[in-house]
Amino acid sequence: MKNKLMHLSNETMNVGFVKKVEALSGTSVRRCFQCGKCSAGCPMTGFMEHPPNRVVRLLQLGQGARVLAGRSIWYCASCETCTTRCPNKVNLAAIMDALRKLSWDADGPSKESYVQLANRLFIENIRTYGRQYELRLGAAFNMKSGQFLKDLMLGPKLLSRGKMKLFHQKNKNLPEIEAIFNRIEEMRKKGEAL
Amino acid sequence: MSRIGVFVCHCGENISRTVDVERVAKEAGEIPGVAYSCDYKYMCSDPGQNLLKKAVAEHNLDGALVAACSPRMHEKTFRKAASAAGLNPYLCEMGNIREHCSWVHEDREEATAKASDIVKFMVERVKKGKSLAPITVPVTKKALIIGGGIAGIQAALDIADAGHQVVMVEREPSIGGHMAQLSETFPTLDCSQCIMTPKMVDVANHPNITLYTYAEIEKVDGYIGNFQVTVRKKARSVDESKCTGCGVCMTKCPKKKIPNDFDQGHGMRTAIYVPFPQAVPNTPVIDRQNCTMFQSGKCGVCQKVCGPGAVDFEQQDTLTVESVGAIVVATGFKLYSIERKPEESAIQGYGEFGYGTIPDIIDGMTFERLASASGPTGGRILRPSDGKEPKQVVFIQCVGSRAREKGISYCSKVCCMYTAKHTMLYHHKVHDGQAYVFYMDARTPGKGYDEFWRRAVEEEEAVYIRGMVSRMYQRGDKIVVMGSDTLVGVQVEIEADLVVMATAVQAQDGADLLAQKLGISYDKYNFYSEAHAKLKPVECATAGIYLAGACQGPKDIPDTVSQASAAAAKVMTLFAKDQLERDPVVAKVNEKYCVGCLACKKVCPYGAVEEREIRDRQGNLVKVVANVNPGVCGGCGTCQATCPSKSVELDGYTDEQIMAMIESL
Repeated sequence: MKNKLMHLSNETMNVGFVKKVEALSGTSVRRCFQCGKCSAGCPMTGFMEHPPNRVVRLLQLGQGARVLAGRSIWYCASCETCTTRCPNKVNLAAIMDALRKLSWDADGPSKESYVQLANRLFIENIRTYGRQYELRLGAAFNMKSGQFLKDLMLGPKLLSRGKMKLFHQKNKNLPEIEAIFNRIEEMRKKGEAL
Repeated sequence: MSRIGVFVCHCGENISRTVDVERVAKEAGEIPGVAYSCDYKYMCSDPGQNLLKKAVAEHNLDGALVAACSPRMHEKTFRKAASAAGLNPYLCEMGNIREHCSWVHEDREEATAKASDIVKFMVERVKKGKSLAPITVPVTKKALIIGGGIAGIQAALDIADAGHQVVMVEREPSIGGHMAQLSETFPTLDCSQCIMTPKMVDVANHPNITLYTYAEIEKVDGYIGNFQVTVRKKARSVDESKCTGCGVCMTKCPKKKIPNDFDQGHGMRTAIYVPFPQAVPNTPVIDRQNCTMFQSGKCGVCQKVCGPGAVDFEQQDTLTVESVGAIVVATGFKLYSIERKPEESAIQGYGEFGYGTIPDIIDGMTFERLASASGPTGGRILRPSDGKEPKQVVFIQCVGSRAREKGISYCSKVCCMYTAKHTMLYHHKVHDGQAYVFYMDARTPGKGYDEFWRRAVEEEEAVYIRGMVSRMYQRGDKIVVMGSDTLVGVQVEIEADLVVMATAVQAQDGADLLAQKLGISYDKYNFYSEAHAKLKPVECATAGIYLAGACQGPKDIPDTVSQASAAAAKVMTLFAKDQLERDPVVAKVNEKYCVGCLACKKVCPYGAVEEREIRDRQGNLVKVVANVNPGVCGGCGTCQATCPSKSVELDGYTDEQIMAMIESL
């Protein structure tokens, strides 16, 4: 997919998808003039098959599918260095957010990636316990991803230093947390949030 | 014994880096006849010039030698300083120890020795020098403008408004040039015709402007202030004084299917025609190659229908001689074509784009005509092959430009902007169409220019693809464009309905021949050369001739208009004087020895040598001798070298001086 010949026409350029990204992120992809400053400062560029500037370039050509097919958007650490340094006021971090949401909604090919799995379990924990329960997060991730022994030897160390607790610590205001989640879900339905 | 001052310059480090200037100055002081010598960091600066002035006064000098750069650079500067100090300026000479010595040598010892030698022989020349007085010549306060495009029009109007007479010569039947062909102009998108045609009318109506259209320069004689220009007015076959411009002849002409060059061959015209309805003058011309009357002698309809009887099949070319004081060259440009070029030509065509055989691959000017309200399609974007509205249009920049393999290495400067404009015009006219632009670099410096390009990308939805097109070919009724996007790193293929190429700007056809007539220099692309790239950008090296517009190099309209006004200002500066001072370095004939062989007359490139009869008091002819007109003499010295009896000498370069220089070494 990466180097495949690109046919450009009104049919092959998915302008609708780009418009969605622009609406969600509140930024224009056409604004980017491909200086590459985002990729130059991105700590994750080395892991991405499409560095940040190329993600925008593909959007400019209406090639959203090519972006979603790759894992670049999931490697993005949302550090916002790109947005902070962009000379042309392109909010690339917001574009990445929008792309992740659209990938999720569209059951993108990377939906079951480890990154997504970790994100989902992380949020589920918050919802259930009101705060993070690291032991459960680690265990659930290893079980669901099928890597049962991954980072197992880190467990005793983290436990002995108090970085990870054996039992979860309950939040006293669980109903309020639930209300926050409900509100966000409502907003997402209305399209007010990602 | 002469008292000469020698002034050695360091030129910052330019000279002192390789030449021991202090030693050169010291050694100069020991030459017999040298009364004073010194060295200084920048002799051309104010303190440096003061050094010279002070030395002339204090040491009572009767000659000065400045050992520094080329006389082309600063001879005037130092002669002015010498003159201010009370010395005859022609007794101040320059020894070139920079271009001729320090810049071309590396060995310090040898370079210093050479610099000393240069100083030594130049001192001899100063010793034998003579005081000279400048020659004055009258100035004819009338300007010739060659070319009636926006450059010529602007220069003509400026000079004419200043109260001077102007003669404008245009090759085509109408003035207006390329700007009259354009649809809209960047970066404001105002209509080209709306801003151009009033200026054309102004030229026609101006009391100080004499307009020759359908005319060419035949011959140029003379020199600054006093040119004699022969203009060939080509036979129009229509008497301009009788024609009222009613246009009946054109409606009745039976030949109606001749491709109109003004519409890049896409519109049709008659054999008797005006190139476009807003033409100035609005007088038709008969295209004799396509006219039935001229080809077979049968027709003459236009003559029959012409009320005022203006059509004249017998008309011949006429030659007119105009005396002018200054010439502005504004011959403009032509566009490169991708067609197959002769094998031996330095410039090649594009086989990979089909050598111009695919009808829907057009150039930028053709697109201008398609987009123009007065164009062959009435302003609708329709493709040439089948008249359909194209939905996918590919624009390609740098076709011919920046393509060494095709023979042109320069950037045509205007294409980035006009392509951005084209995408906008297309978007405004075809809302569901998509414009793609293949570009190598977007070069948009200029006020409001980059913003304009960004507007095309950000608001007018043009898809810019950074990369070149490798090949184009016809598939069905589409053109397959094979390119690449170097930003993504993939090959790109587009099936286009229409392809518009931004082809290179080239010098006008025959630009080299005109330059030879004018005696001005031009580069390998036939663009005219300015006297100095930075400080004399509108002057030619030939005095009295100025440049305006794209004949000097690719230029957009604002730059062209600026340069045209600048050229006009230069002409007005020249015309501000009644007399012109010329360098007195001219040839003089020693009539005593001249035998009147007139070999000098044959070789003189300026035509300055005349015959003169010498008679005794009774009026009997004693002998015929050569005589040099100092106003015309260019001071080249060819006559001096040719004269078998050694009786012609160039002031400032006499045999005596040259021999003394040689003997000093």
